[in-house]
Amino acid sequence: MGYRNLRYYIGGMADWIENGGPVEKVEPAAAPPRSGQNIQSPISRTSWTGFLDLLAGWSLERLVGFWLGMIVVFGVVYWVAGIGIGWGLQAGNVAVKPDLEGLGTAIYFSFVTALSIGYGDVIPLGALRILVVAEGVAGLLIFGCVISKLVSRRQEELTAEIHRTTFEDRLDRVRTNLHLVFSDLGAVQQLQAEQGALPGQVLRRLESTVRVFRGELQTVHDVLYRSQVVPDEDALESLLANLVICLQSLAELNASRPTDNGQSPALDSGLRAIGNLAREICGECVPHTYAPALKESMDQIQALAGKFA
Amino acid sequence: MAQAESKPDSHHAYRVISREEVLARLQDPSLLLVNVMPKETFEAGHIPRSISLPVAEIEKCALQVLPDMTREIAVYCAGPT
Repeated sequence: MGYRNLRYYIGGMADWIENGGPVEKVEPAAAPPRSGQNIQSPISRTSWTGFLDLLAGWSLERLVGFWLGMIVVFGVVYWVAGIGIGWGLQAGNVAVKPDLEGLGTAIYFSFVTALSIGYGDVIPLGALRILVVAEGVAGLLIFGCVISKLVSRRQEELTAEIHRTTFEDRLDRVRTNLHLVFSDLGAVQQLQAEQGALPGQVLRRLESTVRVFRGELQTVHDVLYRSQVVPDEDALESLLANLVICLQSLAELNASRPTDNGQSPALDSGLRAIGNLAREICGECVPHTYAPALKESMDQIQALAGKFA
Repeated sequence: MAQAESKPDSHHAYRVISREEVLARLQDPSLLLVNVMPKETFEAGHIPRSISLPVAEIEKCALQVLPDMTREIAVYCAGPT
């Protein structure tokens, strides 16, 4: 491409790592926490916002459980504080008794506080007030998380559904286009066999077919490398099989293309791009591990890439 | 560095750079390291100071990433393939 001082390190990454060369990595960007998953953010935060992030990462069931548990624990603490240090709860003008009924009253008071209702029929005494305020704040925060989870759950389901449908549509489109590419390549091949050359119109047709094929190959490449959704293996199998026959047909056509006429820079660059993309598709190099049949198809694609060098 | 002076006009006879030289010139800004593996593989681990230029994007992006045609560039990928 005109670079004059290009040098090639043949050993590549394998040789580099084997001989203990330093390796640099790119940390993946922090993903937004999803429901049901507890994703620890790599960015250090203060413990307070960290606590909120932790809560946001919890599932709905866990949040509700934590909230109820916290209320009961606070209730027991109020009750024990009443027995132990005399700073307990007062219902009317009478201190809450250290019996089961008293425990019930304490837990009832805890609920009323956490929900920030505050009837005022039971009141805390002394230092217990600090604890009550803390419970009020924590109760509100956690309850807020519960509500937002409830609201966003449906939203998340919808988004996932949209993602999936779009993805399937895209694969369907690729499949249809690959069929078209294959039949087009067949037609061009036939014309070439009949006429022994590629007259202008046929060449244009081949160029456009190669362009479509390159686009679809790019899509499959992206699906294999970048997609967040792992494609359904059946769908992928038919896609890869289609890719293989298209590549084979294109390779045959390319090999039998007359050298004197039938030259086209657009076609050449298209074929080169196809070769480059196909070279990156193989069972071992894609990030996800697929079934052996799929890996085999991918290896076939990589092997066919050599014909477009 | 006598090697670097040979065959400046040839496109296909790539001149080789050894691991020792790459290692020795890790801090040398005149040597540009280019990793041609896919972006994901690049992110998983590369030689420090390398830039990423996946094979599939060379046609499209080479001139943006490497505008200086005369610069000394060392290209590498996953292994000796």
